[in-house]
Amino acid sequence: MRKMTSANENTQDFSGSSLPRQRRHGMWRLGWQRFKRNKTGILGLSLVSVVFFFGIFGPSLAPYAPDDQTAMLEYRSKSPPSWKNLLGTDRMGYDIASRVMYGARTALLVGVGSMLVASIFGILIGGFSGFAGGMSDELLMRFTEFFLVIPVFVVILVMVRIFGIAVVGTVFEKIPYLNLSCIVIILGVFGWPPIARIGRAEFLKLKEMEFVEAARCLGAGRMNIIFRHILPNALPSLIVIIALGVGQSILLEAMISFLGFGDPKAISWGQLLFFNYEFLKIAPWASIAPGMGIFIAVLGFNLLADGLTDAFNPRLKE
Amino acid sequence: MGIARFIIRRLIFMVFLVVGVTIIIFFMINVIGDPIELLMAERPGITQEVIDNIKSYYHLDRSFAEQYLYWLWNVLHLDFGLSITYNLPVGGMLISWGWETVKIQVPAILISFLLSIVLAVTAATRQYTKTDFTVMSSALLGRSMPGFFLGILLILIFSYWLGIFPSYGAHSTRNMLMNSALLDSLWHMVLPVMMLSCFNTATLTLLIRSNMVDVLRQDFIIAARASGLKNSRVVYGHALKNAIIPALTYLAILFGLMLGTAPVTETVFSWPGLGFLYISAIQQLDYPVIMGETLIITLMLVMANLLTDIAYVFIDPRIRLE
Repeated sequence: MRKMTSANENTQDFSGSSLPRQRRHGMWRLGWQRFKRNKTGILGLSLVSVVFFFGIFGPSLAPYAPDDQTAMLEYRSKSPPSWKNLLGTDRMGYDIASRVMYGARTALLVGVGSMLVASIFGILIGGFSGFAGGMSDELLMRFTEFFLVIPVFVVILVMVRIFGIAVVGTVFEKIPYLNLSCIVIILGVFGWPPIARIGRAEFLKLKEMEFVEAARCLGAGRMNIIFRHILPNALPSLIVIIALGVGQSILLEAMISFLGFGDPKAISWGQLLFFNYEFLKIAPWASIAPGMGIFIAVLGFNLLADGLTDAFNPRLKE
Repeated sequence: MGIARFIIRRLIFMVFLVVGVTIIIFFMINVIGDPIELLMAERPGITQEVIDNIKSYYHLDRSFAEQYLYWLWNVLHLDFGLSITYNLPVGGMLISWGWETVKIQVPAILISFLLSIVLAVTAATRQYTKTDFTVMSSALLGRSMPGFFLGILLILIFSYWLGIFPSYGAHSTRNMLMNSALLDSLWHMVLPVMMLSCFNTATLTLLIRSNMVDVLRQDFIIAARASGLKNSRVVYGHALKNAIIPALTYLAILFGLMLGTAPVTETVFSWPGLGFLYISAIQQLDYPVIMGETLIITLMLVMANLLTDIAYVFIDPRIRLE
């Protein structure tokens, strides 16, 4: 059966082979084949999958509601891991396993959300900079450098704090998870420079390539060249830096929350660490579980990025 | 373009950068937030007269541009103003709290540099062996370990369970270790330094090892070996010298980032340094402190960047000065 279809294709295709069909996703397929052989990459992918699994199904799998404090009424707050509470309970009687599962969703929302914002800025600025060249390239790159050199973390801390004050008494106050969305947007706004740098380098390299020249000769428009010819070829490098960025954003949000500037209403791993830090000596399990969550997520995205680099830029490795 | 012109151009860009960052922070604190309002909320009995006095002292009754220029003018005369919450001159506070930060950050950077050289050379000369695998995988793990979680684990293990090291602060108020202030201070430094050096050691090890592997394959190493030099001479004398250069520039960045990473470390260990001060200043909107520290943090980062830019030019003359 399979042979027949390929034979069919052969007869229809005047070039006498099914090459064009295969080549459409050649870059991705080759990349995946190389990626499969990379043990660290696969480990990263599985860790990221675990985080995604809990991010999607966590809230339905969690044995307790995130605001369930019944353990407190039964004098079981700060109890060590048991069959009733798999990872123990914290000082307010919350079930830690359930809250860590809910935290996975928050972490992914923060990581993916902020990188979505960052990639829009980064790809547009980097792409334009690399494609246009000249004066606008120079200006945009100085602008990017400004964001790369400033102490982002401390600026973010001040911004988050000031924002928390500014919204008091305004209509914005009623938006649920306002602080968290604010953190996501700020992380995105400060996270684009590395993406812009890579984007610019790729666009600079690709716009001189023969296939772009060919497309231009065939009369392809500017937008067509940028979005259909250059961007798809720049994606592998961009995906690597975006995967790294997701892990970094998760870590930054955890740090912000741990320092006490997070969203008190959201259940994030950093928030859990901040909340349970005072009782570290009495209930260490309440701090270890969310900390492991952050570690696994960051490790997963870092290793995934490593694996993707090796898969898509094999020359870099050796 | 000559090197002098290159440095001057970079310097001008960096001045713009520092002014830009301070304007952004100043604008956020003084236009969006209101330090006096927070002060009033904390001290309900405060009279209008006192508030007016404070406002005119900090020039808060002027326009935003005037306020910023006042601040900038004073900073250029090395006057950072008076902290609102501590009522002390910010300049002196930055020095005394800064010393505590330097005390844990500098040893951590130096230790991680030396340690990573040893680890990287061990791994690179034994490529694809079990030793290499162990070093590499622990470096990969260490690179992804969130600093504050590591700090929490260290406190849990060494302070609560084993009871060897203290879990917070920079000094004991009583019962000093062997009645010596120096030993006591060193004793408090151990855990924060361990926490800080973990990430740096991991990243530096990965960096130096990959450079080392590249260098060891080059012709001049083969030539050195062929000429009968001892292995240790080849590795440490020839290969390491070339592999370490990118790490040196990374080291400059680490020094520049020193104060940027301080808030997390110092919160975990309640360490009385600049990071701790910064966090409490942000909470209190103590803007002279926030501004002074932001200025110093930005300056250090900018200097580190400038140094690496210049270093690259000297190390590799092929680099074009744009």
